[in-house]
Amino acid sequence: MIPSHFQTEFEKIMKRDYFSSEIHPVREKAFSRFMDMGLPTQKWEDWRFTNLSELKNKKYYISDIKDAPTKPINLEKYKMEGVDTVVFYNGHYQKDISSVPEGVRLLNGIEYFERNNKSMVCAEYSPFDFLNTALMDSGFCILVEPNTIVKKPIRVLFVSNGEKAVMTNPRIDIELGQSSSLTFVEHHVGEASSYFQNESVFVNLAPNVSLDHIRIQTNSSGTINIENLKVSQEKDSQYNFFQFTNGSRFGRTNLHCELKGEGAECFLNGLTLSDSKSQIDNHIITEHISQNCTSSQNFKAILKDRSSGVFSGRVVVRKDAQKTDAKQSSKNLLLSEKAVMNSNPQLEINADDVKCAHSSTSGELDQEAIFYLRSRGLDIQLSKQLLVRGFAMEKINLIKNKPIYDHILSLFESWVRS
Amino acid sequence: MMLTIKNLKCSIGEKEILQGINLDVRPGEVHAIMGRNGSGKSTLANVISGKETAEISSGTILYKGEDLFEKSTEQRALEGIFLSFQYPVAIPGVNITYFLKEAVNAKRRYLGQNELDAATFLQKIKEKLPLVDLDISFIKRAVNDGFSGGEKKRNEILQLLMLEPDLAILDETDSGLDIDALKIVSNGIKSYRSSEKSFVIITHYPRLLHYVKPDKVHILINGKIVKTGGPDLAELLEQKGYSWLES
Repeated sequence: MIPSHFQTEFEKIMKRDYFSSEIHPVREKAFSRFMDMGLPTQKWEDWRFTNLSELKNKKYYISDIKDAPTKPINLEKYKMEGVDTVVFYNGHYQKDISSVPEGVRLLNGIEYFERNNKSMVCAEYSPFDFLNTALMDSGFCILVEPNTIVKKPIRVLFVSNGEKAVMTNPRIDIELGQSSSLTFVEHHVGEASSYFQNESVFVNLAPNVSLDHIRIQTNSSGTINIENLKVSQEKDSQYNFFQFTNGSRFGRTNLHCELKGEGAECFLNGLTLSDSKSQIDNHIITEHISQNCTSSQNFKAILKDRSSGVFSGRVVVRKDAQKTDAKQSSKNLLLSEKAVMNSNPQLEINADDVKCAHSSTSGELDQEAIFYLRSRGLDIQLSKQLLVRGFAMEKINLIKNKPIYDHILSLFESWVRS
Repeated sequence: MMLTIKNLKCSIGEKEILQGINLDVRPGEVHAIMGRNGSGKSTLANVISGKETAEISSGTILYKGEDLFEKSTEQRALEGIFLSFQYPVAIPGVNITYFLKEAVNAKRRYLGQNELDAATFLQKIKEKLPLVDLDISFIKRAVNDGFSGGEKKRNEILQLLMLEPDLAILDETDSGLDIDALKIVSNGIKSYRSSEKSFVIITHYPRLLHYVKPDKVHILINGKIVKTGGPDLAELLEQKGYSWLES
């Protein structure tokens, strides 16, 4: 059952000139699939622990020109040293204040569409994939030519502000040519009182490519942020994903990595900090298609108040993917009796010569450790903060880029003290 | 008086673990408390440091003349009581430098002193590390995480040296140590011994006491101090065991 306002918004976007009318058949097809599937309910296996009532009960409007900034926007508090930033404000590309690092080409709007031979890929895993294609409002492509080592990270900053319940459906393609490397930062911020972002990201890694993808989600507590991320890896490519979440009313990352080429490596890490009534879900699939590939899924969550979370991780090893080395771990710290974590690590192995391991733990702070710290003169609050810090730092320390590390560390420090 | 324990009784569940302990420790004294497993040694250490596992039914503990039961665990630590744990707890993700700097500065704040900046702290810890035969790489490791038995105990003594307590309770600091590690730990303890500092060393075996000579030795059996003597008592115990004291 799809609320009728999605139909209204779809009709609105079809009247827009964004991209070209040549894209309309693709949009129509996707929208019709979206209508057929309906929004997920808790009867769907992958959405069992997810309550989407807010999305079903509230009207969200596609972003129009009135939602673009009328005066220069102050981005001081989202500043990050040593990166080039591309800014989207309520779905509107802010060309004047955007820049890209040397070695990166950014194709936006019609250029992007033409690059894709006037067609659009639509993943077909969930209704949100179809919704993104149907209502896509900003699309761009980050291109790196073969043999290019991009030194400076590129950051895409999504700012969501305002009182109106805006809905945006951005799409990013990232294509790295053979033997190139890039650090890509996806940064979600803003103070919108009500906002729904449904983003699709397609990552294609040619042979011998290395991509560091850092996703920082610090939206307002009125935001629903859904990310549909598809990664395709060729031979000997490496994908390092790190997600830091400490915002949003509801956040969900649907991440699907395909290890298609031999020797590909895929390391997925996440740290979620949640509080009040927020819910953060991570649905992660790593699919080993080719042999001799290595992967890991290591996700941690720290939950306060009445917040909740889901880790649903699946490692699929296809029958030709011999010599697979896959690890999976979900560790969760519950700081309140009312916080809830649903953790579900799964292995699906169809090859016989593989190394796969998985683990999942959810628990409270260790009372013995608290006593140990107190016996050294730290009060209860400081002792708990130190333990939480230790739990989180194991993840934060994975970030090698100093300005990005500093930014995430300061977000963590202020959260842990709040 | 550094520590005065009077008629201390406490129990865990139905079982009375300590059955009327009396102990006086003066500044500069080293007391050894010896006993078998289950005699109540660790319970005594825990009660002094404020761990609420045992229920105290009677008695008092005065530290520098003040009632210890009125103070929280951290307050006891800030006022100069240090417990070296029998089983130090691992704190993954927190390195020794960060942890000890927090602890040292918490104490300095409590005493109304300026906090140490990073450079001064580092200088201080660099002076202490050789006393327990450790090098600078050690303090970058997460607290007790993946440490060997010897490293854990040396880390306890390093913390003692950094936190500069007036009263140190060493709970089986010698257990699980080979002879080299025992010497290192003993040297660390000896380097801190002075006329102002007091130690209560809890142990099964007399071997630590060969290196750190106690002023007094107490034998704890079934929650009671059954005999008190000088260092000779530890030697006697080595020869005769505990059974002759049990009748």
